This record gives sequence, C-alpha cells and structure tokens, in this order.
Amino acid sequence: MSRGLVRGAAVAVLVSGLAACGGGQGGGQGDGQGGGSKELTFWMYQDRTPQAGQVMEKVRQDFEKANPGVTVKLVKIPKDDYNTKLGSAVASKSAPDAGILDQPLVSKYALDGTIKEVPAGLIDEADYYKGALDTNRAGGKLYGLPQDQTTVALFYNRKLVPTPPKTWDELQQAAARVHAADANVAGMNVPKGDGYGAWMFPGVVHGAGGQLVDDAGKKVLFDQPPAVEALQLWVDLLQSSPRKITDSDKPFENGLAAMTISGPWDVPTIREQFPDLDFGVAPLPYKSEPAGNIGGEDSVVFATGKNQDLAWKWLAFLSDAANNGAVADAFGGFPVHLKAQVVAGGPEQAAFLEQLKVAHARPAVPQWIQVNDEIIAPAIESALTGKATAQQALTDAAGKTRSLLGWNG
Amino acid sequence: MTAPVLERVAAGPGRRARRRPGPRRRDHLTGWLLIAPALAYFLVFLLYPALSALYYSFTDWNLRAEANWVGLANYADLLFDDVKYPHFWKSVSVTLQYTLIAVPLTLVSALVQALLLNAVRRGANLFRLLLFLPVVTAEAAVGAIWRWLYDPQYGLINTLLGLVGIPGQNWLNTPELVIPALAFIAAWQCGISMIIYLAGLKGVPATIQEAAVIDGAGPWQRFWRVTFPMLRPTTFYLLVTGVIAALQVFGLVYVIFSGNGRSVTGGPEQSGLTYVLHLYLFAFRYDAMGAACAMSFILLVFIMIVTALQFRFVRQEAA
Repeated sequence: MSRGLVRGAAVAVLVSGLAACGGGQGGGQGDGQGGGSKELTFWMYQDRTPQAGQVMEKVRQDFEKANPGVTVKLVKIPKDDYNTKLGSAVASKSAPDAGILDQPLVSKYALDGTIKEVPAGLIDEADYYKGALDTNRAGGKLYGLPQDQTTVALFYNRKLVPTPPKTWDELQQAAARVHAADANVAGMNVPKGDGYGAWMFPGVVHGAGGQLVDDAGKKVLFDQPPAVEALQLWVDLLQSSPRKITDSDKPFENGLAAMTISGPWDVPTIREQFPDLDFGVAPLPYKSEPAGNIGGEDSVVFATGKNQDLAWKWLAFLSDAANNGAVADAFGGFPVHLKAQVVAGGPEQAAFLEQLKVAHARPAVPQWIQVNDEIIAPAIESALTGKATAQQALTDAAGKTRSLLGWNG
Repeated sequence: MTAPVLERVAAGPGRRARRRPGPRRRDHLTGWLLIAPALAYFLVFLLYPALSALYYSFTDWNLRAEANWVGLANYADLLFDDVKYPHFWKSVSVTLQYTLIAVPLTLVSALVQALLLNAVRRGANLFRLLLFLPVVTAEAAVGAIWRWLYDPQYGLINTLLGLVGIPGQNWLNTPELVIPALAFIAAWQCGISMIIYLAGLKGVPATIQEAAVIDGAGPWQRFWRVTFPMLRPTTFYLLVTGVIAALQVFGLVYVIFSGNGRSVTGGPEQSGLTYVLHLYLFAFRYDAMGAACAMSFILLVFIMIVTALQFRFVRQEAA
C-alpha cells in the first residue's frame, strides 16, 4: 500500500464524514414545498405509552384526510431534552412549524417574538376552560392553544379523614384531630418552600380571593392579606403536621400523613404500589372561593414557519371537541375543550375536573420560574421554619420581586 | 488498515533516510492527517465550545433570541447585584463549606481503606471490589439509597445513632446538617482515591519499613514517620484533584434533592445549592445562558487560583 493511498483514504473518510453531517441537516426540509402539497412539522414530547402513539397517528391521518395535499410530520422528543432542543432550534432559525410548549415558557417566547399570536376567529374562547386558555396569554394577548391540562387536589386517607375538608377551617380541624389521635401521624403533608411548593401556593392564595400578580401583569400582590393568610395556613398546619414525620419517604402513602396535595399522575403509582391504602381525592379546601392551579401542555406556532395558517388549523384540530378528549389523554392530562369527551378514569377524576373549572393560570411574567424558585420558595420556607412571620417573609419577597422585574407599583 | 499504516510509519523514517533525505513536508502532511481525528475532536468539542462560552459570558443570550453584547455586566451583576442573583454568594459559601468538609473526609476515608486493604492477606480482591462499588454505582441509585438511609422516620443512620443514645436527626431537611450529610456520601464514594493510595502504598519500599522496625519504631511511628511522608506526592495529587472536583460538585446534590420529580431548588433554605447547581439552574431553568457562562468562567479562575496556591504552599515531595 503506497503512502498516497493512505492519504487518499484519510481524505476520503474526512470528506465523506463532512458530507454526512451536511446531509443530516439538509434532509427533510425541501420536499413538500412545491406542487401544491405542504408539509407541516409538529414537535411534541415522546409518547407516554404505545396507545398514546396510536391516538396521535389516528388524529394525524384524520387531519391529512380533511386537508388533501397536506402531510403532517410528528417529531417526538424526550420530555427532559425538549426545552433545550427547542431553544437551540429556535436560536438557529430551524424551529418547526408548530410545537408543544411548556406553560411558563409561552410568555418568554412571546417576549422574544419567536412565536405568533393566535389569529382572530380561529377558535371560540368560550369553548375552552378559562384557566387552560389563560396559560397561553402574555401581555393580554393569546399566543397559543392549550392541548391538555392538569392540576393538584387534596388526597385524603379515608381511614384517618372520613370526609374531606371543604374549607380552611375544616382542614385545620381535620389535621388537628388526626395528630391528636396519634402523635406519630401528621395531619397533612404541608408543602415545602421549594420550587414545587411555590408552584402550588397560588392555588391556595386564589382560594382566599387573592392573586400573586394582577391580571395586567404589572403589580405584585402577594404581600396582600389573601397571600399572607394562605401562607399562615401552612404555618399553622405544621403544628399538627411535624416535619419530622412528613419529611420521611412517601408519608401519605405509608399512612404517616393523613392528607397531601398532589396531582393525577400520582394516582396510578399509589394504586399500584400501595394497594391497601384507602384514599380519596377532593378539591382543595378554600377560604372564600374554590380555586386551584394548573399545569399541562400548550401548543404554539413559530414565527419562522412557512405554513402558519395551516399550523394553526392543525393546533385547533387537536384541541377541538371531537379530538381533544383523546389527544389530552395521550398527553397525560385532561381535555381543555369544554365539550370534549373525557376519557373515563378512576373515581378521583371528578375531583380533578371540578378543580380545573376553577383553576388559575400562573402569572404570565417571563421571569416567573426564577421568581417562583429564587424568591417565593425561600420566603415560604422562612415562614414555615419560623425565621420570619408570614407577613414579613412575603413583604420582603414582594419587594425583591418588584426590584427584579422593575415594577414599582 | 491500521496495522499496515503503523508499519509504514514505523518503517518510514529509516527507508526515507536512505532514499531521499530532502524536505519533509509530505511527512508533515501524513502526521497531520494521523492526528486529525484527535485534533478535530479537540477543536470541535472542546476548544470551540469553550471559546463560545467565553463569548456568550459577555452577552445576555437566553438560548433562543439573538445574543446582545453586554460587556462585563454579567460578571459585575453576579458579584454585586443581589436582586438579580440573590443566591450567588450563598452558592459560593455552600460550595466552600462542602469542599472544606468533603475533601479531608474523603482523603482520610480513602487512606484508612487503603491501609486496611494493604494489610489484608486473604480476600483482598473481594474487599477492593466492595469498597470500589460506590464509585461505579449509578448516581441516581446512590441518591435514592442515601435518601432512605437519611430518612427521619425509617433511616438506618438514625437507628444506628439511636443505639449509642444520639437522638435521630432530620438530615436532609435541616439546613445545618445538609452539607455534612452530603460530604459523608462523598467520603463513602472515595474508591478512586483509595485505589490511588493503595498504589502509593505499594510503592513505599519494604526496606525502609524494615529499617524502621530494626530501629525499634512501633506501628504508629512507622505510619507517621515513614509511610505518610512517603505518600506525600499521592496525597498532594489527591488533594488538588479532590478540591477541583468538590468545587464542581453537581450530580450528587441534584439526585439527592430531586426526589419525587420535584424541581431542584437546592434543598432546605438553599443549604445544598452548590455553585454548579446554581449555574445549571440559570442555564437551563431560568434561561440566562449568558450569566451561566460567566459563572463558569468565574469558577474556572477561582479553581486556577486555588490550585496555584496549593502548588505554592503544600509540600509535595516525598520525604
């Protein structure tokens, strides 16, 4: 073998490697543009179950049948990598036509101008759950359509709490009774001052008729009485719910905490791993009005897309009365369309659906996740550990939030 | 194809010397081609990302929109603006405390394990395997197991403490106890340091030990006056690499505090918010990639200073 041959081979390998890289990026773009046929790319999370994949496949085919000449390409990405992948795609101007977008990201993308506003007349807003639709709003404008929604509610151990409390007072009494009867059992697994606890907190504040931020997204309101009372409720509950018990692994499932706040995703796991636990689910107790918070998947159209009208049509199709029942179930949540058929589930479903009717979207502030994690969570924790009163902690947090967001109202 | 290529290279210079002692440009080309894969890897996956990160540290990049040049604002805000970055200094302090506790604890635990292994006559392989196991166990499993061990209700640690009359603690939920609890896990995972110490121990000449015995030195004196000084280069190496690793601790805190699918905000009252966890949150949760890049360069400079100080002030030669 000559020296030249070695070099030639090395060069050939390098060149073909480069060509392969280039090819990978170029593929899948060009086709579908010409000849009246259109291709629509839709990014979504990887299927939770094989059945969910079948549902999406059927909806895709139905849409293609209803829109001759249109091909919909579903791109499924693992949930953990989704936001990063989508961010890089948007940064490199190779975003899909449409895609799923996590609720708190909608206002961020809207701020950047990387997603489009929902065209007037696409949907009738009255057909949708208000809370779910509101998760798509930023600055008062609608930037996407919800596809599924979920929420948290009160899980209660039927042996320890025969009838679920409806109000804050009943909740306190129920918790106190449980702990008085057995000092080794906590009344309630009180949320903590971490990102998750801070995410649940607004639902409680709304239950006292308050909100964290005003509707216009201009004023911090969580130093006002409703929020202070909500935090005080958690502080008071700790008397009948010592952390030493509830910080244990799965306190509710193990029967060490009589009540906890959690979502539908926990129900199958509990049923499977703790078949003997007799528990029920009820809407969150409230002070002056029933309320809760909301999570789930939204869907948006990206500004770089070439087939925006078609993309909106596809998103509306997914969330309409005929399809959203199955689609929402495939995504792991409840329908967002009021007339959609809910896929039948366990006895706890009614409580979650009732809760969703009164659920409130989190504030549409682009930096909300940071405020939630870095300001509100530590404030909750300092009140719960007794290092500050509820009022002090929230006043301090509200001041920090105003400075961070530059709101001086 | 590899073998002939290697033969060719090995045989090359001799034959060429006979045939054509002239310019060597063609050989340079072959050389470059041979190192091309490694060089390409270095340029594409190490140097280019590092330089881009340096560039982005001077921008407000959020991973999506155009990055705008902001000069030194990220660095200044991180260091001085506690409205924008309320927990930056907290994360520095958490990381320093962790390093100060975890590194000595790891070194002691590794050395003790290595001495024991060195003394064992039978079953050394089995013990070595068992002591090394924590290193090769998946981090997620380590996190789950230690959450159970530290459990305030059923935890084995509290049970053991109870036997000697110490009241049980709520380890991972008491701010003051979080760092010691994490450092203890790190010390348990000291297998790699242990293997390096073991290699160091094998390198201590038996003749010196024997001479010490003849001079009447007891086991304790032999350890402090012979073995330990002879291990000084090993200890120095482990100290330097251990400090660098501890300053970058991430996986452990992430798995310990991310149980039940919760968002990670760094444990009770941010007591477990280590520097790199804080950096990670800004990069991937709060969409502030520019600030996160700046944090990584602040860390880089800090690590370089700490390492230089260690080279300057810690004795490294065997004596």
